[in-house]
Amino acid sequence: MPLAPIELGFVFLLAALGFFVPLLLIASQAKRARSLAIALVIGGNLIGCFVAALCFWRESNPLLDLSRFTPFPFALGIDRLSALFLLLICTVAVPVAIFAASYFDNHYGEHRRNWMWAFFSLFLLSMIVVVTASTGFAFLVGWELMTLISAGLILMEGDSAERCHNVFIYLLMMHAGAAAVAASFFLFLPYSHGLGFAAIRTASAGVPAGIRTLIFLLAFVGFGTKAGIIPLHLWLPRAHPIAPSPVSALMSSVMLKTAVYGFVRFAFDFLGGGPSWSGYIVLLAGAVSGLLGVLYAIAEHDLKRLLAYHSVENIGIIYLGLGTSLVFLAHHQPVLAALALIAALLHTFNHALFKSLLFLGAGAISNATQTVDLEELGGLQRRMPVTGATFLIACCSIVGLPLFNGFISEWLTFRSFLAGSILTNTKAQIVLPLMVGVLALIGGLAAACFVKVFGVAFLGRSRSAEAEHAVEVPVSMQGGMIMLAAACLLIGTLPGILLHPLASLAQVLIPGGGVPEETLIIARVIPWIAAIILGVSMTGALLKRRERMVRTWACGLPGLTSRMQYTSTGFSKPIRFVFSSVYKPDRKIDRLPADQPYFPVSITYRSVRTTSYEKTIYRPFVEMILSAAHQLRRMQTGNIQVYLLYIFVTLVSLLAFLRFQK
Amino acid sequence: MKVAINVLQALALILGAPLVRGVVARFKAFLQRRQGASIWRPYSDLAKLFRKEDLVPPTASGVFRVVPFVLFGTTICVAAFVPLVQPSALLASGGDFFLFVYLLAMGRFFLSLGGFDGGSAFGGMGASREALVSSLAEAPFLLSLVAVAILASHADIAGMVAWTLQQNIFNISAVHILAFTSLAMVVIAETGRMPVDNPTTHLELTMIHEGMVLEYSGPSLAWIEWASAVKLHAMLALLVALFVPWGMASSVSVGAIGLALLLYCAKATLLMVLLAVIESGMAKLRMYLVPDFLGVASAVSALAVIFTTLVKR
Repeated sequence: MPLAPIELGFVFLLAALGFFVPLLLIASQAKRARSLAIALVIGGNLIGCFVAALCFWRESNPLLDLSRFTPFPFALGIDRLSALFLLLICTVAVPVAIFAASYFDNHYGEHRRNWMWAFFSLFLLSMIVVVTASTGFAFLVGWELMTLISAGLILMEGDSAERCHNVFIYLLMMHAGAAAVAASFFLFLPYSHGLGFAAIRTASAGVPAGIRTLIFLLAFVGFGTKAGIIPLHLWLPRAHPIAPSPVSALMSSVMLKTAVYGFVRFAFDFLGGGPSWSGYIVLLAGAVSGLLGVLYAIAEHDLKRLLAYHSVENIGIIYLGLGTSLVFLAHHQPVLAALALIAALLHTFNHALFKSLLFLGAGAISNATQTVDLEELGGLQRRMPVTGATFLIACCSIVGLPLFNGFISEWLTFRSFLAGSILTNTKAQIVLPLMVGVLALIGGLAAACFVKVFGVAFLGRSRSAEAEHAVEVPVSMQGGMIMLAAACLLIGTLPGILLHPLASLAQVLIPGGGVPEETLIIARVIPWIAAIILGVSMTGALLKRRERMVRTWACGLPGLTSRMQYTSTGFSKPIRFVFSSVYKPDRKIDRLPADQPYFPVSITYRSVRTTSYEKTIYRPFVEMILSAAHQLRRMQTGNIQVYLLYIFVTLVSLLAFLRFQK
Repeated sequence: MKVAINVLQALALILGAPLVRGVVARFKAFLQRRQGASIWRPYSDLAKLFRKEDLVPPTASGVFRVVPFVLFGTTICVAAFVPLVQPSALLASGGDFFLFVYLLAMGRFFLSLGGFDGGSAFGGMGASREALVSSLAEAPFLLSLVAVAILASHADIAGMVAWTLQQNIFNISAVHILAFTSLAMVVIAETGRMPVDNPTTHLELTMIHEGMVLEYSGPSLAWIEWASAVKLHAMLALLVALFVPWGMASSVSVGAIGLALLLYCAKATLLMVLLAVIESGMAKLRMYLVPDFLGVASAVSALAVIFTTLVKR
């Protein structure tokens, strides 16, 4: 059978990532082999972008059925939803790979580097398999590979006891989540012919309401664990910061999104919505994750952990959109449901772009200064202008400032909340508009947090010798960041390029959806505002006359030192004080020597957050399981006669069961 | 013609902004039994600053230099959203109140960064306090506008104003009273007036806005000061337009526009008197009482949104 160009490109992508790249890297240690492998990764993903874009815009659905070679139905296909996420993966993968080309060179030896690239490539492949799977088995295989390979990538960075513990928690939670996902697939089995997505879709109408609820809840928990909604986020701030920066970028911006993909696939494509309470559950999860995520982020001064908490926050915003969409679906408002779904999917895409850019920026900082602790940074903007400028664009995007891509999706989410007021159901009429306040608070706190990040890391004076002597990162790292920054700005100023295809995707997922007029409005007005702001800035820059360098005002003191600046901790203090019920801090001040309280030689101050999910939720759960296991152990006496008795009793009861069944 | 008036009213908003500051300062002087400066003083201040040279601290990067322009650019976009003499505005079609609020947030974000770039303690202090005030003010700001928007079934500000114009002036609902209360509190917090921030202070312990702009001088400072004057004026004009728009010109004629402009001046002056009375009569709140102040505003605005379900039917 001759393959069409689209299928050929897709097969090339899969073969390159899954076969040629790892083979090349394992077979040969030569530098040229590695360069070829890197080129294959980048080229394969570029082709992947084209394939996805073609499928997305032209709506052709290639299908790659491998069931003949596998013991179970295994097929990969690209429908519109898959195409969107394939586009997301490949679009992010290209700049990240370009960045990683010099990042891995600077950080790892010859041998480790090859393994790193091999795993990097396989990690991309596993995510592509997840989003293009069109049978349940293919999905689960990809899902499992994705977890294991990412854990491998984290372990490759080092294997200290703490790292192993964090990876263990990561693997444990991922497998609990995977079990829930697998269960929600298998619950379809009695009603559908196999686990092909098409079969599931047609069969789902016949699934009884109780089972539908169960499937929805299992999918919500299973994908929620991967997405990192609070309180299932426990692994996220542990696993993301300890991975190499390009891998953190992929994990945070792409791997989390596969969970959003899975949830959309289940909730919208398979189940076609549900009762309105399911929407409210998703809304609640989104609101809690968004608010707590950003509050935890503000309190951090480890840049990568801070970014990991922001992933929790942004997943919260995405879930706010998804929940709103489900509420609208339950109240039979397909156009508004489409609006909220577009908002959520666009935010998924946007978050992938700016979060990978932020993590790459963190990688560039650690490359230049060997630290990502904000308290050790400062003044990097003048020493690393390109990293600084691209990082600033990412900050503006994640905060949701107009002209940057995050704004477009947050704006659509706001508009879908506001549209909730036209529903006739009083509960929805009150809850949805009030969610505007929640999202506004999240946005305001995120702005505060990124003023802190950029202000402390890039502006002012350097707080350490490393930051003082930082130099700009190599060109290929800059290139990766510039590409992502350009994408953020492009979507932010010309949102129409993504909104129109997304509207047609929403029509596929929500029958009768139509094109919400809000998507057209925003695409029309934003370029004007961009023009005004740019015009003013340009005029201002042209008018600008002489300037003179003078010392910063120091209240008449001889000079300022970097220790006189506001620190990251100091900056966030007012907000932490106001929200102290969230952190419940435990403060300790030690003055030495103790007998001279007014003239201490040294003061140490420590403040730790005492609200912990381990203690309040996970520990009791673990103890419950352990005590159940203890009870079960009583049966295990170790006495052979007792075991024979068990066998006998089982046999008799089975025979009795068979006898009385008829 | 309508577009020309829209351009003119946006220009009036921007060019008249320093006057608003002057008038408020004059009223305050009157209340405090001082002689006070001329109401045109802010213009001569700006002119003086524009003539001076820019002094730049050695730690400053490019960010420090672009901040004044980004702030001014976003603020004049904001000004183009607000109807003054007729129920339409330059960016009315599609430019809704979410965009309005987020453009203000954008200016504030960059101004806070500018504060950091000086490398002194005051910039960070101002930015940190501004972060607290603004992150808590955003929710009541949006919610009070949401309440009005739900009643008007319009999200763009001009549409909301046009709807209010058609209502009877005596037929004010509880939603409007609640929304006005919370929006007025937010305006005080957002524009850095008493009791949240003291616009005339330079005392380290109390500065918020002044802390961030401490290192700016000359033309850069002039752009920032002008932008914050435009912000104050736009917020006052927003209050007028949303809650007492009656008198705006419904047709495009010289007489109607002139009358509308006069009425607007009268209403805005009334608000300025109110602002001066509040500023003279109240002491500045302790920093950690500001969240309570904004908490009240949030609660009131949430009530306004909830009450819309009762009022609407």
